[in-house]
Amino acid sequence: MDVSQYLEIFLDETTEHLQNLNTQILELEQDPENMDTINEIFRAAHSLKGMAGTMGYKRMQTLTHDMENVFSEVRNGNIKVKANMIDILFQCLDALEEYTGNIRETSDEGTNDNEPLIKQLNDILNSKGGDNAQAAPEASASAPGEASGTENSPAGETGGAKWQDIKLDSTDKMVITEAQKQGKKVYGLTVKVQETCLLKAARAFLVFKAVEELGEIIVSNPSAQDIEDEHFDLDFSLLVITEAPLEKVEDAIKNVSEIDTVTGDSIDLDKIKDEEKEAPGQEGTENAPAPAKEEAPKPSKPAKPTAAPASENKPAAKNGAAKPVVNRTVRVDIEKLDVLMNLVSELIIAKNSLVAAASASDAMQKGPSVQSGVNEHIEYLESVTTNLHESVMKVRMVPIESVVNKFPRMIRDLSKKLDKKMELYMSGEETELDRTVVDEIGDPLMHLLRNSADHGLESAEVRAQRGKPAVGSIWLDAYQDGNNVVIEVRDDGNGIDTEAVKNKAIERGTITPEQAANMSEKEIIDLLFLPSFSTAKQVTDVSGRGVGLDVVKSKIEALSGEVEVHSTLGEGSTWTIRLPLTLAIIQALMVVVGGEKYAISLGSIQTIEDISPDEIKLVQNKEVIHLRGNVIPIIRLDKELDVVSSKNPEDNMVVIIAKKGDRTAGFVVDELLGQQEIVIKSMGKYIDNKCKLISGATILGDGEVALILDANVLI
Amino acid sequence: MEELKVMEEGTTTQYIVIRLGQEQFGIDIQYIDNIVRMQHITRVPKLAPYLKGVINLRGEVIPIMSICLKMGLAPDEESKATRIIIVKLEQYGTIGMMVDEVKEVVTLNMASQVEKMAYDKDDKNNFILGVGKYEGGLISLLDLNAVVQEK
Repeated sequence: MDVSQYLEIFLDETTEHLQNLNTQILELEQDPENMDTINEIFRAAHSLKGMAGTMGYKRMQTLTHDMENVFSEVRNGNIKVKANMIDILFQCLDALEEYTGNIRETSDEGTNDNEPLIKQLNDILNSKGGDNAQAAPEASASAPGEASGTENSPAGETGGAKWQDIKLDSTDKMVITEAQKQGKKVYGLTVKVQETCLLKAARAFLVFKAVEELGEIIVSNPSAQDIEDEHFDLDFSLLVITEAPLEKVEDAIKNVSEIDTVTGDSIDLDKIKDEEKEAPGQEGTENAPAPAKEEAPKPSKPAKPTAAPASENKPAAKNGAAKPVVNRTVRVDIEKLDVLMNLVSELIIAKNSLVAAASASDAMQKGPSVQSGVNEHIEYLESVTTNLHESVMKVRMVPIESVVNKFPRMIRDLSKKLDKKMELYMSGEETELDRTVVDEIGDPLMHLLRNSADHGLESAEVRAQRGKPAVGSIWLDAYQDGNNVVIEVRDDGNGIDTEAVKNKAIERGTITPEQAANMSEKEIIDLLFLPSFSTAKQVTDVSGRGVGLDVVKSKIEALSGEVEVHSTLGEGSTWTIRLPLTLAIIQALMVVVGGEKYAISLGSIQTIEDISPDEIKLVQNKEVIHLRGNVIPIIRLDKELDVVSSKNPEDNMVVIIAKKGDRTAGFVVDELLGQQEIVIKSMGKYIDNKCKLISGATILGDGEVALILDANVLI
Repeated sequence: MEELKVMEEGTTTQYIVIRLGQEQFGIDIQYIDNIVRMQHITRVPKLAPYLKGVINLRGEVIPIMSICLKMGLAPDEESKATRIIIVKLEQYGTIGMMVDEVKEVVTLNMASQVEKMAYDKDDKNNFILGVGKYEGGLISLLDLNAVVQEK
């Protein structure tokens, strides 16, 4: 079977499963007894195995298969979760990630068999003999069953009589009784789709359709919605009321392609009731060793308890309690979205031209009635384009979860490597950012976290001396703030030793001792962001080569974001990353300076003030104003931009108060033109980064180019 | 760096002949994307004087430079004949170049009509790859990468 077309889906899903496994195993480390977690891990390992098998990646399949075996034993209580087991499992995940990486690049899994890992997994499996001698033969019996996962028999066995698990509420029972009174038949059916089936939901839908032609489906397990969303393993169960004989229903289902087996029997309501009364009812029926034949056994007690490990295919999640809420999604190629986005950009430019044309003809004093009609339509167009833009932007937004989820694992590894106890607390993982930003933000965040773990947190002795808790804390908080998303990395470690930074800078010749004496604390901290600057006394393989922070800074600035550090020596540091929500289209304030039009992003603007020239005071020879209790430095844009202001210096000035982090400044402009949605364009490779003040250009409605002022550079 | 084609018999290259001040220059046609009329240029602050600013070319923002100022000639005098030549260079992207006039396209035989310049390649003021002889006149063939490069 040619599976290359599914490669992309496979890779995406594998990555998701691996991430899920990472998270769950971490949880397991904290809470080794948690059955939900163990079940979730088992499921993920099982799906991985199935997918790898379908795609023909044998090595991956073998490894996941052995992991699955271990978990199946853990789940049955035959093996206890131990620290060394967690380590081995993490190594397995790394190996799986390596396979996935290879597949992504060459569509081949590579040749690493990871035999030591498999051996270790088998050792764990064998070690349980000591724990529970009796369980050993059972497990070995179940293992081969699982091993032949690609064949139908074991799963068929398990899926046999699952319809008996369907829980009936009183209304369902009434319906059944009613139907039986009318002489109709009620059948329970369990349908198993082939393991190689790629569109399980579609097959299930066809089954539903086929059955509904013959009768009425009263209950399904999982629910119809879950089946539609493909939230089921390989089988699902139905209760059907029909007048047709059982064989006819079964034949109808079997006519749907890629259906493996159908098992059905008529329902005896009394028996079901009895079943529920029996103490281990739920477990018992689930474990019923149904033969792979078409006929179901009577819902009696399980004959062979040894079948239990293999047959408990559906973990607790099936019972609804721990079911993760998965969004209904469509995977879309980001390039397609880019095209859509560009079209929206064009539309906005076209709309802006219309607005400009309308106001131009307004000036020509045309018939007022015609004019108001045109305006009305333009306003309508404006609201449509704005909404369209917003929805397209939203489509591109993804939660930063996908990036930050790998950090707990990283911190755990670092903790072992550095021999420091530390804990990572995260909040706001659901905060959304543009896909392109999310893809890029991972590395800088990782640098900062490593930095906190390595340089920030002190060794255990120092922490004890300072009276801090033995376990160091690192926080990663994300939240939205206006048009920006803020991500903070915080630690309760040593903080930045500005003296050490200063001495290092002098030693390296970055600054002279005279310069150092005059530098503020903040300026010294900023030295850290210079290329090749590391104060770590010894170079570790975690950090300390001086390639971290300048990369962090340049990467974030490339995303039009900014980084700031606050640090108190002995108490810890906070690194704040501020990123724009969107990259391509922004709301901007259009201003005129010396006859030239400029756009300033609304995101950074706080207020606009009308200031009389005599309110300006001089502090240290710099112009400031006193505004509502704050002293705000004034920046005259005409001077910064090398133009001559067209305004009379005696007139009141228009001052735009803008904010960057906790710093504020007032920009003096000649005139305000109003707010406008603008499309950010690059100024071309040749001059793009030559003027720091300008972050890009935009095309106005009349076709003129206006430059976008980067207020952050000036503040 | 652009090299002149190997001087084989029969190799020809097409050049667009432009005028800067009183001198005639040739630009290899393979780099030229488009020639547009002079239009409003939006000034970009804090740039070298030869970088005039940006224009809107059918929805794209294109940087504009003055070859005259870059090469140290007398500044351009805008007239009806002034044109912007849009060139595409791999390293620098799309750039518009202001020229005083665009005259014609000529085909030069690299062997018989072009004299390679014997300048020092590292000379910072060398923007010329060679001189072409055409209908009795001389055309200085521009090395576009050298013109664009920051020195």
